[in-house]
Amino acid sequence: MVDAARHPKVEVLAYSEVERVDGYIGNFRVDVTKKPRYVLEDRCNGCGECAQACPIEVPNGFELDIAPRKAIDVPHGQAVPLIYAIDMDNCIHCYKCVSACGKLDAIDFSQEPETLDLDVGSIVVATGFESFDPTVIPEYGYGVYPNVITAMELERLANSAGPTVGRLVRPSDGAAPKSVAMIQCVGSRDARYNEYCSGFCCMYTIKNALLLKQMNHDMDITIFYMDIRTPAKGYEEFYNRAREMGIRFVQGRPSQITEDPVTHNLYIEAEDQALGEVIELEAEVVSLSSAAIPRLDSEALASTLTLSRSPGGFYMEYHPKLRPVDSPTDGVFLAGAVQGPKDIPASVAQGSAAASRAARVLLSDSWEIEPIVARVWADRCVSAQGRKCGVCANACPYGAITVVQGQPAQITQAKCHGCGGCVAECPHDAISQDHFTDAQIVAQLQELLKDKPEEKILAFMCHWCSYGGADNAGTSHFEYPSTSRGIRVMCSARMDQDFILEAFRRGAGMVLVSGCHPQDCHYISGQQVAAKRFDRIPRALERMGINPERFRVEWISAAEGEKYARVITEMDDKLATLDKETLREETAKARPEIARRLKRWATVPGMAEMLEEEEVLA
Amino acid sequence: MIKSQRLDHGFVEEILAEPGGEHLLTCWSCGTCAATCLVRRYEPAFNPRLVLRRAGLGMREAVLSSAEVWQCSACDACYPRCPKQIHISDVMKAIRNIAIREGYERPGAAARVDTESCIACGLCAAACPYEAIHIEEVASNGTGKLAAQVDANLCMGCGICNSVCLSSSISVEGISDQVVSQDIAALRRQPARGALAIVCNWCLHATTDWDVAQNPPPGVRVVNVPCSGRVTPTFLTTALMQGYDAVLVVGCKTDECHYKHGNALEQGRAEVVGSLLDLLGLEPERVQFAWIGALDRGRFPALLDKLAADANALAPVHWGDTPGYRGEVPAYPSAATAPRGEG
Repeated sequence: MVDAARHPKVEVLAYSEVERVDGYIGNFRVDVTKKPRYVLEDRCNGCGECAQACPIEVPNGFELDIAPRKAIDVPHGQAVPLIYAIDMDNCIHCYKCVSACGKLDAIDFSQEPETLDLDVGSIVVATGFESFDPTVIPEYGYGVYPNVITAMELERLANSAGPTVGRLVRPSDGAAPKSVAMIQCVGSRDARYNEYCSGFCCMYTIKNALLLKQMNHDMDITIFYMDIRTPAKGYEEFYNRAREMGIRFVQGRPSQITEDPVTHNLYIEAEDQALGEVIELEAEVVSLSSAAIPRLDSEALASTLTLSRSPGGFYMEYHPKLRPVDSPTDGVFLAGAVQGPKDIPASVAQGSAAASRAARVLLSDSWEIEPIVARVWADRCVSAQGRKCGVCANACPYGAITVVQGQPAQITQAKCHGCGGCVAECPHDAISQDHFTDAQIVAQLQELLKDKPEEKILAFMCHWCSYGGADNAGTSHFEYPSTSRGIRVMCSARMDQDFILEAFRRGAGMVLVSGCHPQDCHYISGQQVAAKRFDRIPRALERMGINPERFRVEWISAAEGEKYARVITEMDDKLATLDKETLREETAKARPEIARRLKRWATVPGMAEMLEEEEVLA
Repeated sequence: MIKSQRLDHGFVEEILAEPGGEHLLTCWSCGTCAATCLVRRYEPAFNPRLVLRRAGLGMREAVLSSAEVWQCSACDACYPRCPKQIHISDVMKAIRNIAIREGYERPGAAARVDTESCIACGLCAAACPYEAIHIEEVASNGTGKLAAQVDANLCMGCGICNSVCLSSSISVEGISDQVVSQDIAALRRQPARGALAIVCNWCLHATTDWDVAQNPPPGVRVVNVPCSGRVTPTFLTTALMQGYDAVLVVGCKTDECHYKHGNALEQGRAEVVGSLLDLLGLEPERVQFAWIGALDRGRFPALLDKLAADANALAPVHWGDTPGYRGEVPAYPSAATAPRGEG
């Protein structure tokens, strides 16, 4: 960090907030608010005289409130830049700091927040993580029993620069504990809180245990764990060393901690799986290895930067295997625990990768995007006619569309990823997607349903998941009926209700719409846009006299070839039970109503030729 | 040795298909349930983790014929702590259902009904936490009559049915009205006053607290019952009339009852007993109630100490002088002269 701060091409804006991000890859505009420190950066030399003079003591967040800090202070000793700041919520305006600063004259009570507009080419998000608060687990008694602490608190208490200068003490009486128990997976690998494995807790717990053991060889240390995970280089050796040093490992997740009300000693109950017996262990201090969780403000930052979040709440990468550093927004990269819990080596590796990915953008004069972007037909857009709309902008997961009443919707093509959600959502057919136009899709549909449509299953598949699933069914040689016919689009969000109606108008026996599972959507929220739309379809079909059982929605991942085959087989079985004559009657009955609804297609460019001799134009 | 040829995957499928058994394979054997469950105090072999493990491997015979699948009382103490949120009692129930279908029966005593004296009022059926009791037509003296009937496969033997029975027609072996009363009286037989604690079998989680219940401090006698819900107001008044100076009922904390809601029943009675004492002009601390949770280590010994002190401070009851009392003045004990507190 010190090196970064010294680098001539690096500017560090600490104590600042990103308020707004506009623009696109290579051309971001970032509004940053620099909070007032009430200390002039170019004059403060970090000597700390002011803090010594300050009479106000408040809990020190960096020391997890175990120690005090002053109302004028630096976050911690190694802070970069080493510039003091006044905590105005606690300052009493005694101005002792001003006198202490003396000739440097670095303190300025009149400082105001400063707004900076930055033009940047790429953005790296490295905002880190937070620690899970175990207060919510009643059976572990954190916050109730003084001697139950978190591993982070243990870390500060055992740190030579910490509040006790490295002497571990019991919070209840300040005595040096002779026995310590450490509990793994607190708030992680737990369906009640976070299902994911927090990843690095095993290693830091072993590290803490070794540290304590080195300070006091007679200390009795027990680690309760479900699994010890030491997959990286040299980690297993480290674990071996801990075992050899006499640290006791018990495989068994503690069910509860109780406290002796007199001694404040703690009793941990767990089943030792190796023995199949319950053991009750007395310890003077218990340290909980609590999970790494996403920062509480990560949702707000996600909306500022148009990022999506994985089920655990960490930011989602563009692709888990092939693009682990990129975010779904081009030009925005992820480093460290924002993307998922990580230890230091992995964070450093991802940070380096993110930096070089970011540099790639800065070194390029132009940037290639997929040629499947959406375009607005200005003459069809009702916003241009002064009407209030904006459906497309709401559907766009990338914030690529701006709608100003009185003007046609504007699409920033550099931000468009080509999901086609806006195209399908636009109620006036005023948006088209290159290479996936309505006319092209309807042409496929027409061809596939030419002969005996009532014996066919028309399957719409998204490019990334369900099409991959169908492909997987093929390459894995899963057998399924030959009655299905597929149309590939980029995202389930592109699957227009009109296509489904048109398929039934043409007499399709069954229609399947399939896409990614909600958390897997390649286009952040495309699947959600689609799912909402598909929810309405069965009722619409029913009203038109079409048996809603002929329509099915399935979320199929690229690995679920078996599921794809099963769904098609089930649909084929269902179709076999339906009387063909009834199907034809249903179609005949619904045709006029569907044709009436699709009348607007007559004026959609490229559509007229396709619909010749059709009642849609009649 | 467990041989793979003898593992029955069909058994796993069968449990998964049974309502409640869906989550069998979610378990990763962390042992939280085993360390939570107190059944091990009475049945050392009982380990819910191992039941699920064996079932998940497909050890049909070993699981279905074991006593353990019947020992879970569905108190659900383990469920809120399970990191995989497996409703273990539901899995156990699913396995039991299979066992019942295959002709296995619950071992051990279930509640028994004296059909002759049963008045078929249905209170027991309403109070049973396991819906094990139904009022049915039974043969009696050559004719039919309505009476309570117990499904032995569902009964957990808590005795709550007995505690609500108006005609003493239903009871569980070992904890019938008679047996509990005799226990209380037997402890009292020495010519000494003192205090009585009626303690449920499950509320004292810490071994050290349980040891205190087995060896109470001087002046206090302890009677154990399966559930505080088993304790009828009659036990309490009888104890006072027999000369105990104070009585304490200890049950599980709200939501922690081993028999689902037996403690709630007793908590309701606590209010009634309070009014009864008031009516009799007796001091409220004559009969005390305490609800102890699994995390309340060390609370029980303190409660007993307080009980002993309270009993010591209270004067003996002069039954003839109590305003609401209309019954006979008990001859025993000659309270004023009996020596105090030698437990």
